[in-house]
Amino acid sequence: MVSTPQVVGDTLPGADLNAPLLEVEDLKVEFRVRGKRVPAVRSASFTLERGRTLAVVGESGSGKSVTSQAVMGILDSPPAYITGGEVRLQGVDLLKQNEETRRTVRGNHIAIVFQDALSALNPLWSVGFQIGELFRVHRGTGRAEAKKRAIELLDLVGIPDAKNRVGHYPHQFSGGMRQRVMIAMALALDPEVLIADEPTTALDVTVQAQIMRLLKSIQEERHMGLILITHDLGVVADVADDVAVMYAGEVVERAGIRDAFKRPAHPYSKALLRAIPRVDTLGQELEVIAGLPPNPASLPTGCPFHPRCKAAEDRCAEEAPPLAAVAEGHTSRCHFAMEVYRDER
Amino acid sequence: MSELTVPTGQAEAAQTSLWKDAFRTMRRRPDVILATLILLFVFAMAAFPTLFTDKDPTRCIGREARQRPDTWFTGEHPLGTDAFGCDFAATIVHGTRPTIVLALTVIVATVVAGLLLGVLAGYFGGWLDALISRVLDVFIVIPMLLGAILLLSLFRGRGSSGNLIETIGPAALALMIFSWMEFCRYARAATIEAKNLDYVQAARCLGAKDSRIMFRHILPSAIIPVTAVVPTTIGAIIVTESALAVLGLGVQAPATSWGVLLSKGTEWAGGGYVYLFGIPLSLLILTVFAFAAFGDALRDALDPKLR
Amino acid sequence: MGRYVIRRLLQALLTLGIVLFILHYLMALSVQIRGNPAILFFGGERTPDPAMLAQVERLYGLDNGCYDRPGDPCLVPFVERLQNYAAGDFGTTLNGNRDVAALLGIYIPNTLRLFLFSTVTLVVLAMVLGTWAARHRGRLVDHSVRGTTILIDSVPVFLILLAYVYMMAVPLTRWARGIWGTESFMGQVFRPSYNPDYPWTTIVIPGIILGTVGLATLTRLVRASQLENIGADFVRTAKAKGLGQMRITVVHVVRNSMIPIVTGIGYLFAFMLSGAVLTEGVMGIPGMGYMIFNAVQRQEINLVIVGLTISAIVVVVVSLVVDLLYAALDPRIRYE
Repeated sequence: MVSTPQVVGDTLPGADLNAPLLEVEDLKVEFRVRGKRVPAVRSASFTLERGRTLAVVGESGSGKSVTSQAVMGILDSPPAYITGGEVRLQGVDLLKQNEETRRTVRGNHIAIVFQDALSALNPLWSVGFQIGELFRVHRGTGRAEAKKRAIELLDLVGIPDAKNRVGHYPHQFSGGMRQRVMIAMALALDPEVLIADEPTTALDVTVQAQIMRLLKSIQEERHMGLILITHDLGVVADVADDVAVMYAGEVVERAGIRDAFKRPAHPYSKALLRAIPRVDTLGQELEVIAGLPPNPASLPTGCPFHPRCKAAEDRCAEEAPPLAAVAEGHTSRCHFAMEVYRDER
Repeated sequence: MSELTVPTGQAEAAQTSLWKDAFRTMRRRPDVILATLILLFVFAMAAFPTLFTDKDPTRCIGREARQRPDTWFTGEHPLGTDAFGCDFAATIVHGTRPTIVLALTVIVATVVAGLLLGVLAGYFGGWLDALISRVLDVFIVIPMLLGAILLLSLFRGRGSSGNLIETIGPAALALMIFSWMEFCRYARAATIEAKNLDYVQAARCLGAKDSRIMFRHILPSAIIPVTAVVPTTIGAIIVTESALAVLGLGVQAPATSWGVLLSKGTEWAGGGYVYLFGIPLSLLILTVFAFAAFGDALRDALDPKLR
Repeated sequence: MGRYVIRRLLQALLTLGIVLFILHYLMALSVQIRGNPAILFFGGERTPDPAMLAQVERLYGLDNGCYDRPGDPCLVPFVERLQNYAAGDFGTTLNGNRDVAALLGIYIPNTLRLFLFSTVTLVVLAMVLGTWAARHRGRLVDHSVRGTTILIDSVPVFLILLAYVYMMAVPLTRWARGIWGTESFMGQVFRPSYNPDYPWTTIVIPGIILGTVGLATLTRLVRASQLENIGADFVRTAKAKGLGQMRITVVHVVRNSMIPIVTGIGYLFAFMLSGAVLTEGVMGIPGMGYMIFNAVQRQEINLVIVGLTISAIVVVVVSLVVDLLYAALDPRIRYE
């Protein structure tokens, strides 16, 4: 029943260890529903290095989750189709690999932690089974050994009394503990890249902090690359090394963490930052971004942000801006990137 | 105060739009349109039989017995005559009313009973719920057809004077007793769910009376799952009546139902008079199919999750 | 788990007890209102000799005075009846004075064989059609599967049978015998009625036809549960874990889909029992349904009651098994 484990080993065939860990370049994904084509991701580009944390920030519907699922290769086709771009893991373009290779990459090299652990875990199998399944399928491990590994992992992610808890079912865990189970599952095969798709959104604030600390410490310990998808800028400031801001299916700004917060080069990022409550602006009214995120089925012409942009000019409605560098390692998709960067707009 | 009344309005608006949406979805489906046309035709036959035939089904001429419907829909006997020389078209058209009246009586009575018991059990819980649930368990054990067979054979009467109540009464009553359970179960489950919704809690906090909460807030949501199974159940009742008729337990003479015609028709079908069996069979299947297709579409329309 | 099983068992016994009592009470009421069925023993119209009548009444357990008082629940005969049932004594038939328990020994296995074919037909058809429809959700296949199953389901089983018996069985049998010969499987399988010389072969067609009861319902359930699970988050997780398509289907989809299907089969079982009455009656299969069919037509109340008692026991046991299976399949069910 279970297919013979095909171990790719620790490295992907053809992998170049000097290449960046994960590079996503101009990735495009569209949904095809009843003959209509709706672009969900129009141009996603970012780079992730070993041992670093990249935060992908944006409103819901901006294409963050679709991007991460496209990188994992778990989009449902139909309705979603990847129509362009490259996803390079250590120099190897994953989109060009066959399904069998992609399957072995999942779990072994790239793993993902989903937002809602309750629905992301199968309710009918014990957590031990679901973690152990990875060892059994990818490594051909026996049942007893897989269980032992599962206990070690549960222990690692800080679940008390792991020996007894290993046989419990997902509904018997609290929200935070369930998310730890998800993390244990993602870490099982020691992947180089870990994607955390809004890992704390469904949790209490205190638990959120614990989970983020856990992710961060494991990431540092294992020298993994972590992609953190979130809309919580507070979390980003705490843990990220690099930031990619997405709007309407495009990465509109990429920067190191300091630049991203101190000197944003895109009006959207700037507006996002102004919308965070801070102690030094206590008592003042928070600025909100006027209007609603655009409908991907009928995007505005030119720069998709222009109807909501305070700095917009006529040109913005006609011409889509290219991604341009404003400084070393800092790019922005705005006609006036330089001026915004210098805070002149 | 105003915050508390807002959710009520929203919930009601949601319900109205659910029905509206359901109607809109249904209107566009070709199978629904077809089913509706069939049902309209059948209901018209039940309500105004004289529109469809000018013959009297009880006026039979022995020497004209078993004329095959060679002329099809025209001539003296559009669908031929039956074994006793009665006009078959008239027999069928006049057999529609008992069939439909029986089905509608049973469905109305059981929906009302089921809803009432279900909402009461779900709303008050406790011993009332325990009691109703136990009765439910007991009745579910006996399938509708078997229960009706039991009652009708235990209390079989001697024949009746001929008015509609006496001819369909026993069968209708027997079917009612064994078909309310499904409605009760759905209504109970929906009530328990609705009871804990915010707007119902809010109404309670505002001091609304139990009866008001039940009728105003809970009943509208309990009716949804019940409505979805009504057409299918009407079909099942028509089928069960015809099964009873085959056993001689259905609608009593002198009235005829499609089931009675079917059971008479089987005797002649083998001998070459297939139309005596085939015509009532097609009519029954068409009607039941129309109800089932309509019910299926309705269930889909009211439960968008399954679409 | 153990406590849950015991509690569920007691509940089932209670339900069964109430059902038995209701059946008994209805019978008592019928005797009280309509008069003594023992008269039937003497052929109905003629008024029999009182001494003989009393003897016959004793024979059928109708000699208790409570049968003359309308509304009396007749508790003493009820207890006696239960004791008799427990001892394996189900009385004798009015026609021919045969031992009912011995008849049951012949009837029950026949009905079980019929149900074997029906259940297999139902489950296989519903699984195949439901999965097929789910795969092609919203497309022509989906709609045709739905329309066809509803159409099949709206034709009452006994009518399919009658149509088969009166219109198709004879020509089909003649055709099959012309090709394969009288004694072959094909030569027997299309016969219009049951033949005890071919107890398996001649039950296949009625079994398959009875298996269409509830086809639309079960197909719908299979389709819905497949759709729900194919699109479930945990299936996406399984994909993200790098599991193969086969393993995802077997380990993560099928088991989750089984829960509503098991419930559906349990629920449909009661309908199949009703279907069996007419199926066996029409095809002349000497089973439980045949017994009830004939008992109704001959007004043998005791046989109807025995038949219904056994059907009630079967339904209670099946729903008990379904509940336990449900609990075994789904760890979220709590057992308190």
